[in-house]
Amino acid sequence: MGVVRKKSKSLAVVRYVLALLVVAWAVFLIYWGVVTSLKPPAETFTISGISVPVLQFRPTLENWKTELSTRESRFTLTNSVIVAVFATVMAMLLGVPAGYALARFQFRRMKNRDLTVWFLSQRVLPPVVVVIPFFLLMRTLKLLDTQLALILINATFTLPFAVVISRQAFQELPVELEEAAAVDGCSDFTAFLRIAFPLAAPTLVAVAAICVAFTWNEFLFALSLTSLKAKTFPVYLAGAEDTRGVQFWFMATRAMLALGPPTVLALLIQRYIVRGLTFGAVKG
Amino acid sequence: MRKLLFVGLSVLVVLCLSVVYADMTLTNAGGESITFTDEELGTIITSGEKPFEGVTITITVNEGGPKGGISGPLYEWRDVWEKLTGAKLNIVEIPYAEHYPKVMTDLLTGTGQYDGFMIGSDWMGELVAGEYIVPIDKYMKDPRFPKWDPESLPPSIRTLYTWGDTWYGPLNDSDGQVLYYRKDILNNPDYRAKFKEKYGYEYNVPPKTWNELYDISEFFNGWDWNNDGEPDSGIVMHLKVGAQGMYHYASLSAPFCIMPGEKVDKYHNVYWFDPEDMKPLINSEGHVKALEFQLKLAKTGPDAQVAWSLGEAWDYFLRGKAVFTFSWGDVGSLVQDEARSKIKGKMGASILPGSLEVYDRSQGKFVTFETPNVWGNTTGGSWHGVISALSKNPEAVYHLLAFHATNKISLWNVQRGWTGVDPGAKFHFLPPYGTASLDDYVANGFNPDDAQEYLKAYYDNFFAPNIAPYLRIPGGNEYWVALDRHLSEAYTGQASAKEALDRVARDWEDITNRYGREEQLKVYQESIGYKAE
Amino acid sequence: MGLKSGRIKYPFILPSMIWVLAFTIFPLIYSFGLSFFRVRLGKPATFIGLNNFIRILSDYKLGNSLRVTLMYVAITVSIQLVLGILIALLFHQEIKGKSIFRALLILPIFCTPIAVGYLGLTIFYEEGGPLNSILMSLFGWKVPWLSNPFWAWVAVLLLDIWQWTPFCFLVILAGLQSLPEEIYDAAYIDSSSEWEIFRKITFPMVQPVVVIVLLLRLIESFKIFDVIYSLTGGGPGTATEVYSLYTYRTGLKFFDFGYASALGYVLLAMVMVVVNLFFRRVRQVYE
Repeated sequence: MGVVRKKSKSLAVVRYVLALLVVAWAVFLIYWGVVTSLKPPAETFTISGISVPVLQFRPTLENWKTELSTRESRFTLTNSVIVAVFATVMAMLLGVPAGYALARFQFRRMKNRDLTVWFLSQRVLPPVVVVIPFFLLMRTLKLLDTQLALILINATFTLPFAVVISRQAFQELPVELEEAAAVDGCSDFTAFLRIAFPLAAPTLVAVAAICVAFTWNEFLFALSLTSLKAKTFPVYLAGAEDTRGVQFWFMATRAMLALGPPTVLALLIQRYIVRGLTFGAVKG
Repeated sequence: MRKLLFVGLSVLVVLCLSVVYADMTLTNAGGESITFTDEELGTIITSGEKPFEGVTITITVNEGGPKGGISGPLYEWRDVWEKLTGAKLNIVEIPYAEHYPKVMTDLLTGTGQYDGFMIGSDWMGELVAGEYIVPIDKYMKDPRFPKWDPESLPPSIRTLYTWGDTWYGPLNDSDGQVLYYRKDILNNPDYRAKFKEKYGYEYNVPPKTWNELYDISEFFNGWDWNNDGEPDSGIVMHLKVGAQGMYHYASLSAPFCIMPGEKVDKYHNVYWFDPEDMKPLINSEGHVKALEFQLKLAKTGPDAQVAWSLGEAWDYFLRGKAVFTFSWGDVGSLVQDEARSKIKGKMGASILPGSLEVYDRSQGKFVTFETPNVWGNTTGGSWHGVISALSKNPEAVYHLLAFHATNKISLWNVQRGWTGVDPGAKFHFLPPYGTASLDDYVANGFNPDDAQEYLKAYYDNFFAPNIAPYLRIPGGNEYWVALDRHLSEAYTGQASAKEALDRVARDWEDITNRYGREEQLKVYQESIGYKAE
Repeated sequence: MGLKSGRIKYPFILPSMIWVLAFTIFPLIYSFGLSFFRVRLGKPATFIGLNNFIRILSDYKLGNSLRVTLMYVAITVSIQLVLGILIALLFHQEIKGKSIFRALLILPIFCTPIAVGYLGLTIFYEEGGPLNSILMSLFGWKVPWLSNPFWAWVAVLLLDIWQWTPFCFLVILAGLQSLPEEIYDAAYIDSSSEWEIFRKITFPMVQPVVVIVLLLRLIESFKIFDVIYSLTGGGPGTATEVYSLYTYRTGLKFFDFGYASALGYVLLAMVMVVVNLFFRRVRQVYE
């Protein structure tokens, strides 16, 4: 399989060490977050080197217990879940049919290709450009500090994923199945629902997972549009920096709670990540 | 029979009286108890009627958690207050940097999610001018509410809680920066002798001028004077951008650039703007010299301090790594906490030093004083509660704030470092300046010498003949932020003192123009007590 | 391609088109309008024509954040690309446990950026943080990570490179793996050096993928906000105050909505220029 042929054993060892270094570098920050969250506050910066738990200090779950029993953290975690789930549902409800239409039908006025690019172009928009109009709009609609506002906005910003990748998933299905169904008297809609949709489901689930992860990680809109009732977990996380400085121990615990769900999702949909994040431009 | 009746009656009367005048003992979340008289608690509590049953009030406060500065006391007394009044208290913590925008968003959009705010005093101009908060005078004399003592506040602090003659919030925090130093190290005869050898004079403990302080700080910087095996520092400051670093500059610079005078006029007792045309004074020669001095002084401390916020700088001093720091009252009480501090009993404190050279704008040059030009300051937030004009339950909010302002809770807060509530009122100070007792401080964990040093320093500061003017006009927060950012540029070597302050001046002009020069000038004159000839 | 009847064609696509119009085009038009006004909440807005845009020209703080942003985008994206290619080449061969390594390398991409920034605070902590404590024990000196303008900037770069190099790596590796095996056989018969094979065969073939990665990273890099908000807050001074942060503060901290809208438009224009350089390539992909 290997493209570059084996030259020598020592070279292979060097490569292996390099690979290990790369991986160590990639997980170090996460490792450090876990370790910090397990340290007693007073020992945050007193243990030298890479602070191996058990060997260099006695790990404690105190920070986790405190954090998880705090009303605020449970409340904001719930908000984050609600916003992520409903924004994703919204994006999928809108995006999957659009992707199907782009895959299966010919549009005349604007070519399918240009429509696809048009949907994509939203990802180009820096969020900070629209955060002010959104703020004023939500104020007029009396939607400031509501989960609904965040759901609407996150659905908008994840919609390109849903449209473009589902289009590609449908394109890869043989159209004959649906044509056969049409001959049997199925309506287009039934053919979509009964045949195309189930076949594309694995990819669609992966898209949904990406939408959930992006919504979960979103910070700027959540910071600007919520204050109390709809506060999400990343905004709560930012609160670990208080008037007297950062409370590193809580901060690390919260950071781990924040990045847990999206990283786990990522591992579950590994096969689809390249395609998902490049909008189908590169097939992984 | 008549006798029996008489005895019966008098027993009844005594019983009644004892019910009416019975002291009430309240226990907080930490399990500590305080006994109050009925008068102190007010009739809403003593009647037991719970008029706020079913009412929920929401208060914003700087993020800090149940044991954090300013936020901590709210948690500490929440349960007991809820039980006594029937109300529910919702505490909303917001990170310092986001607190002001969140409060203003709520008020400007008319959302009204919050009933009250624990504000920094520099927001007052904006809040009062927009009528976003309500005066509390009518509640203050009402016996229904807990009793607190506005007369106990020095004029310097009182100014921050009022606008004109109108009160907007009950006492909570009193901020001002004083000098903290290591009494044991500065009085070490060996060190003194070495210093004299090197600098040719004997220093005062505490130093009287900033230049003298600089010499001492330079002398102690970079070697191991506390025998912990590591080099130590002269001074430590918290200079991180976005974390109240600019307050250091504000309190340090006053003696370099404010000319004392009989009254407030174009050239005297002004610091921020020219009271005639609102031109910023921040880049005038006195200011530039002050900042240049601060940059020089910072070199006698740890390099990392330009990225430190309060906690990190305080910890450095508490761990015994620096001879000097100047900061808020929190330090004095944190020194007593032996879990964090190694210097209990070794602390000295005093009003900040002065300067012999002062820039006189009327002459356009520095003049030399015979005795140091010393200014007390109220630098900082003096964080205290105000009532939102959008609140549907202003009485419940006032009740809560007044409860926290009662002498007993206030003193309890002041005696504990983690509360972030700092001393300012007479009943916090020791005789002859105030009415608190040293035994009480000692019983609450203070070293007696430290307590005396600390409270005397704050008394001297708040009751000083000259108090540096405080900036709290509309846009106050924005002016402060501009100052903060550009100072940080200077601290980190991205700009010289003059460049940084020129930028501040430029930003301030922008802000003033945007808010409207005429309106700003009027409020500014009001806020510093300037009267046109 | 395509089904014949197409009765569901418009019902399927129109909802999302209307949605996009409502939630992106409308706000854009709205903020374009705002940029001609002086807007302060609670007071009536005043029409001031082009004044906000004129102010942009004379805003010295803007120059700083433009410089910071452009430098940041250029440097972070090129380092990520180069490292991504190198690591992809490294993993494009038999390595034991490759699938586990690959899985671990995915993690950074999905980490909550705001959390990454705060974790950065502990990593770069100057007195006793892990990096400085390792540097101290190895070389006896430490780096002023967050207190020095240059190093703070480096710290931000490091975090961003940490988070997004894996993305470049993954995509480029996928590109490498899709290359037909046979092309190398001929090359090896010619016994060219590995570098020559890379330069003459591998890179040209994988180049379309690299361009896509480059475009996506450029677009995303202009958006940076979270990591800087949490790691440095734009400091020390204004050393890391990127454009998004400056715009956010102007608009939502000081409520200067009109000017912030004008600032937003300038950013949008910059990103559009970048995207247009790649436009034809993007259209080809979705043929």
